[in-house]
Amino acid sequence: MTRLLVVDDERDIRHLYAAELEDEGYEVETAGTGREAAEILERKDFDLIVLDIQMKGESGLQILQNIVRKKSDLPVILCTAFSCYKDDFSSWLADGYVVKSSDLSELKSEIRRVLAKQQP
Amino acid sequence: MEPGCCWHKDHITAADCEALRPGDEGLLFNRKQRFLQRCLECPRFLEDLQSQRGGDNDLSSLFPYAIEELLALRAQNRSLESQMVWRNREIKFLHEVSLVLQTSVDIDEVIAMALTAVTAGKGFGLNRAILLLVDKERQFLKGYFALGPRENADAGRIWKEIEEHDYTLREMAQLFFEHKMADEREKFRDLLEVLTTPLNRTDHLFVRTLNDQQSRHITDLFAEPGIDPAQLAALGVGEVILVPLVSKNRRIGLLLADNIINRSPITTEDLHSLETFVLPMSYAIERAFLYERLQEELTKLTGANRRLRQQQELILRMEKMALVGKITANIAHSIRNPLTIIGGFARTLIKSTPGDNPNRQYIESIVREARRLEEVLQEALNYSESLHPTLDSWDINQLIAGVYTGLREDLEAGGVQCQLLLDRQLPLVRIDYKKMTYCIRSIVINALEAMPRGGNLEVRTVPGEGELLIVISDTGSGMAPETIDAATTPFFSTKEQGSGLGLTLCARILEGHGARLEIDSARESGTTVTLHLPVPEATRPEPGEATTPQGDMP
Repeated sequence: MTRLLVVDDERDIRHLYAAELEDEGYEVETAGTGREAAEILERKDFDLIVLDIQMKGESGLQILQNIVRKKSDLPVILCTAFSCYKDDFSSWLADGYVVKSSDLSELKSEIRRVLAKQQP
Repeated sequence: MEPGCCWHKDHITAADCEALRPGDEGLLFNRKQRFLQRCLECPRFLEDLQSQRGGDNDLSSLFPYAIEELLALRAQNRSLESQMVWRNREIKFLHEVSLVLQTSVDIDEVIAMALTAVTAGKGFGLNRAILLLVDKERQFLKGYFALGPRENADAGRIWKEIEEHDYTLREMAQLFFEHKMADEREKFRDLLEVLTTPLNRTDHLFVRTLNDQQSRHITDLFAEPGIDPAQLAALGVGEVILVPLVSKNRRIGLLLADNIINRSPITTEDLHSLETFVLPMSYAIERAFLYERLQEELTKLTGANRRLRQQQELILRMEKMALVGKITANIAHSIRNPLTIIGGFARTLIKSTPGDNPNRQYIESIVREARRLEEVLQEALNYSESLHPTLDSWDINQLIAGVYTGLREDLEAGGVQCQLLLDRQLPLVRIDYKKMTYCIRSIVINALEAMPRGGNLEVRTVPGEGELLIVISDTGSGMAPETIDAATTPFFSTKEQGSGLGLTLCARILEGHGARLEIDSARESGTTVTLHLPVPEATRPEPGEATTPQGDMP
C-alpha cells in the first residue's frame, strides 16, 4: 500500500487530509512538527510527503531541506495557504506545489502525478 | 657737349623723359628726386655720363661705382621688404593655426588643420605630411592620417584648385575637414597600414626617433637602417623629415613630411619651423584625445545614471507591490486554513449524508459558501501576484554585467582575471530575473572557488539557433566525471560549507525556464558551464537591430 506522511501544524487539517486520503486508498500518517516528522521518518519508509510551509516552530522549507538532505529520492508536495512561496529558492526543491483549498481534488491529482513520475 | 638727356633741366615735360612712369608727374618739377629715382637707371643718362669722361681730374669716372652700389642696395632693400611681407604672412598663418589648434577639441579637425598647415603653400609648403599616432592599448605606432597629392596629376589638380580660389589657410583646413577627410583617409589607407609599426621594435627608425625625442632630416632614406623594405617602397621617397610629437614627455606620435612630387630639397629652416610647429600640435592632439575619452566616459556615466534611476524607480515600485502582496497573502493565510477545514469537512460529510437527509442541504450550503469565499480569496491573490510578474523580458547581458559588478571585488581578491565577451546583438529572453541572477551567480562563485590560486574566468554570450548561450569557463581545478553527474543532485557538494544547493538549484531553475545546463570539465584544466536559454519567436531581433546598448566591460 502507498504510504503518505502529512505534516501540518493544524490538527483539523491533519484530520481532514488523513480522512480524505485514506478514502483514496492510501495509508496515511500525520505529524504536527518537523521533529515529529523526522522521528516518524526514522522508523518508517514513505512514498510521499505532503508538507505545509507556514508552521509554528520549524518552517516547512527548513523541514523540506532536512528531508531532501537525508532522503533525496522521497518526493515532497508542498501544500500551503500561500502561493507566494513558489518563488522561494528552497521551494523549488519540492516536486509539487498545491495551494490549500476545501476542494481536495487538486491535492489528490498532484499526489497521483508525482507518484506516477516516481514509477520506474 | 650738349647733353642728350633731360637730367640738367629743372623742369621737363612728360615727352622729354622716356624713363618716367605713370604716377611720376611730381618728378617733372623736382630735379633732385627725378635724378635719384629715374636718371640713375636711365640708359641715356648713363650715356651722357660716359660722354663726360676725360681730362686729368676726371671725377665723372667715379660716378658709375656709386650708382652701381646704390642700385645694389636698392635691390637688397626690395628683397628684404618682400621677405618681411612673407614673414609677416607666416606669423599670421601660425597665429591662425595655433588659434584653431587651441580652440578645437575635435581630433580630426585638429589633424586636418595641422596637416593642411604643413602642406599648404601658405604654410610650410611641403608636398606630403603623414601622421603616425601612438596606440597605447595595442602598443603600436599607428599610421593615422596622411595628406597631400598621391601622384603628379593629382598634385597639379589640387594646386590649381587652391590657386583659383585663394583660400585662407583656415578656409582650406575647414573645407578639407568637412569634405575631403574621409576620401583622404581612404586614399592613403594602404600606405598608413604599411607604416604602422609595433612600439617594441626599438631599432626601427620611427620608434627610435620617437623614443629619442629628436627630429631627423634624412636625405637618403634608402641607405637608412631600421626601416622595412615594404615601408620604403610605399613611401617612395629618399628625403624626409621626421619630427616626434611629444607632450610633457608622453609620446604622442610622429610627423613625417617630404616633397614627394616636386622633389625640391628640404631646408634646415623647414625642419626648425616644423619642430616649433609640432609643439602646439602635440598638445592639441593630446587634448583632443583626452576630450574624446572624457566624452565617452560622460556618455557612459550618463547612461549608467539613467539606468540606475530606472532601477531605483523599479525597486520602489516593486517594494510597494511586494507590500500589497504581503498583506494579501497574510489575510489569505488566516482565512484559508479555517476555510479549508470548514469546507473540507463539509465535503466529507456530504459523502456520508444521503440526499433525503434534511441536513444534506445545510451541508451543501456550507460547501457552496466556502467555495465562494475561496474564489474571492483567489481573485485577490491573483491580482496581487499580477502586480509583480516573475517572468519578464530581460537583456541577459545586463544581467551578467550586474552579476559581475556584484562579484567584482571577490574576483579581484581571488586573483581571478575576468573577461566578459558579450554579444551585442542578443534578443531579449523571458526569464525570472531574480532566479536567473541566482543561477549565474552560483556558477560564477563555483568557478571562483575552483581557482583558489587565481586564474581566468571568461563569460560569453552567444546567439544560437532559437536559443542563446551563456558560456562560463574557468581555468580552475575542474571536476571529476562522477562529480559532474552528481552536481545536479540535490544537496550534493564537495564543498565543506554551504548547503550545496548551487548547481542543483541552477538545474531546477533552468528547467523551469525550459533551458538546460551543460557541464564540460577536465581535471586540472578547468570547467565550462554552458546555459542554453530558449528564445521565444517574437523577441528575436530584426536584422541589424541592436537590443543591447551595452558598453565594453573592463
